[in-house]
Amino acid sequence: MELAQLKKQYVGPDGSVVPVIDIDHFALGDGEQVALVGSSGSGKTTLLHLIAGILTPDSGDVKFQLNGSAVNVTKLSEAERDVFRGSNIGYVFQTHHLLPGFTAMENVLLGMSFTGRSPDPAWAKHLLEEVGLAERLNYKPEKLSVGQQQRVAVARALANRPNLVLADEPTGALDPSSAQQVLELIRKLCTEVKASLLIVSHDPAITQQLPRVVSLKELNKAHK
Amino acid sequence: MNLFQLVIKQMRQRALGTWLTLLSVLLGVALAIAIIIIRREGANLFGQREYGYDLLIGVKGSPLQLTLNTVYQLDRSQGNIKYATFDELLKKRVYRADIRFAFPVCVGDSYKGRRIIGAQPQMFGFADNGQPAEGYDATGKLLAGYQSPSLDTDARDPSQKVATPSLEYRPGKKYQIAEGRMFHGAKFEAVIGADIVKATGLKLGDVFQATHGMPSATEIPDIHAEKWTVTGVLARTNTAADKVIYIPLTSFYTIFEHGEAEIARDYLRKGWNPATKPAVKEEDGEKRHYTLSADGIITLDLPTDVLEVSAVFVKTRGAFNTSNLQYNVGLRDDIMAVSPATVMREFFDTFLASSSLVLLLVSALVTVVAAVGILVSIYNSVTARRKEIAILRALGATRRRVLLLICVEAALIGLFGGVLGLLAGHGMAAIGSVLLNSLLGQGIHWAIIDRTELLYLLGVVILATLAGLVPALSAYRTPVATNLVAG
Repeated sequence: MELAQLKKQYVGPDGSVVPVIDIDHFALGDGEQVALVGSSGSGKTTLLHLIAGILTPDSGDVKFQLNGSAVNVTKLSEAERDVFRGSNIGYVFQTHHLLPGFTAMENVLLGMSFTGRSPDPAWAKHLLEEVGLAERLNYKPEKLSVGQQQRVAVARALANRPNLVLADEPTGALDPSSAQQVLELIRKLCTEVKASLLIVSHDPAITQQLPRVVSLKELNKAHK
Repeated sequence: MNLFQLVIKQMRQRALGTWLTLLSVLLGVALAIAIIIIRREGANLFGQREYGYDLLIGVKGSPLQLTLNTVYQLDRSQGNIKYATFDELLKKRVYRADIRFAFPVCVGDSYKGRRIIGAQPQMFGFADNGQPAEGYDATGKLLAGYQSPSLDTDARDPSQKVATPSLEYRPGKKYQIAEGRMFHGAKFEAVIGADIVKATGLKLGDVFQATHGMPSATEIPDIHAEKWTVTGVLARTNTAADKVIYIPLTSFYTIFEHGEAEIARDYLRKGWNPATKPAVKEEDGEKRHYTLSADGIITLDLPTDVLEVSAVFVKTRGAFNTSNLQYNVGLRDDIMAVSPATVMREFFDTFLASSSLVLLLVSALVTVVAAVGILVSIYNSVTARRKEIAILRALGATRRRVLLLICVEAALIGLFGGVLGLLAGHGMAAIGSVLLNSLLGQGIHWAIIDRTELLYLLGVVILATLAGLVPALSAYRTPVATNLVAG
């Protein structure tokens, strides 16, 4: 994945323009696991949304090399971006963002529902077993602890064997022990499916465990 | 997880809201369906435009009451006309010139709430002895080589013979025997309408006694001594005739109370004259105005001039003759001739058509209210689920998919509510039919689901889907990034 000349700015209520993202270049290699650090309001989440195609930049490119062909997410239509995201990007949010009426298994299967491929219940079950929830497949989120909920969210993010996993403060709401567990699971599963990982965190205990740490302050000219 | 599973899952997730919305649709549709059934059955029951006869002749009074009583077996009889008057219609040139054939009927008794009608076998195409008349087979069906006596002269095929006069209940449709045989015109025998078997339990060979009038549940029934045997079941006509028991006119007069009443009314007309009072026989403690032969043939001991009939079905020789006869009969003080088609058209147009239109408008409004209920319910649900919708979008659901999701949910509520409402509406109609049956002896076809209902159901689903479009567009426009971060 490669970012080039990526810019995003917001217009404030008073009409003032606030630059949020201004990145000349950033690249993430196949299977690479990178921590992105930055203070609150530094544009971490906006950057992840731009990479995932949830937001569109004002200018610049978000390019993916997939099976030898290049895809520039910024050039895709909104519907194409949605399908691309569903098929190639796994997203772990700070809070689990599971659907409350669905069981752990159904939440993972839901992650497989928008790719155009048939859902794979065996893979969903395997993922939940991997995150230690083999006994909780049919539990709804309300019956799971916060840590367990986040583990279901990790399994869901990996449901489509994505090329890239974006994790936005995935351990932010967890105690240190659970946070460590979740981090290890994300890294392990990303390795298993050969997905690159870009994890946003401001917790040094988390970021120092990743092979490469990038400071958004250094990367993002908008906040210099 | 496909689209439907996802929708059902989301509907179950907020089961109470879904059920309440379904309930509002169900009630709206049930009311509308009940109104559609009432409108349809009202039109079927009273909106009949074609009859196999042209005029009904009865005692002067209300044309509507005469028609309702004679054709639809509803309302009370207004009284009788003299048998001699009926005879006069057939013999006097001023009337005879316009009449092709006429059949008298007598009403006034019942069995288990079903009306008994005194009629002649000739009305059904049979001779007085119950054997087929010329041109008909044993069931009363026209034989090959014969044509209907009801056909206008200029419409007849000269190469075919004309069958003996008989009554058609609708043009080209005459009564036929489905089972058994026609009654003998002078025996205690009966043929029953197609619905009588189910309604009263009577079947071939059964013997029954008539009850005087149509007593209500709280009245003590006056059961006549005479006993009739069921000899035949009429084929279904889909008219009120299906709910009637026919007995020979002669046997109707054997009922002592009928004879006595007719004698009394005759005295009122002519003045008291003990010399003319018919002799009354008494056998086994029962008073009688007739003699019964060993083979069951009835011989009436009543003079013909005391006999009465309730109404006469008349087939005229043509449209001009119909007007002519109506005019000539109208000149008399005692009887009237009415066209059932005209009477019922006026009744339907002035009363039923307009009131049922109002009901239909009410049902349309109720349906719109139910659709607004869907809109409000789903709109509220979408507002409460913005974050969920954003999650679905983040997982790869396109805007179109989200739009479809909400519209399918609305359509399903419309469909489920509509189908349940359809069933409930028919349930309401069934209850109405039972009540109507107990009140008037005439139910409605509550179980039939016709094209109008299916079209209405389709309309409800479309309306529900359109109602879902408003919240669906709101969901469509849900900004993903904002709602993912919120909460």
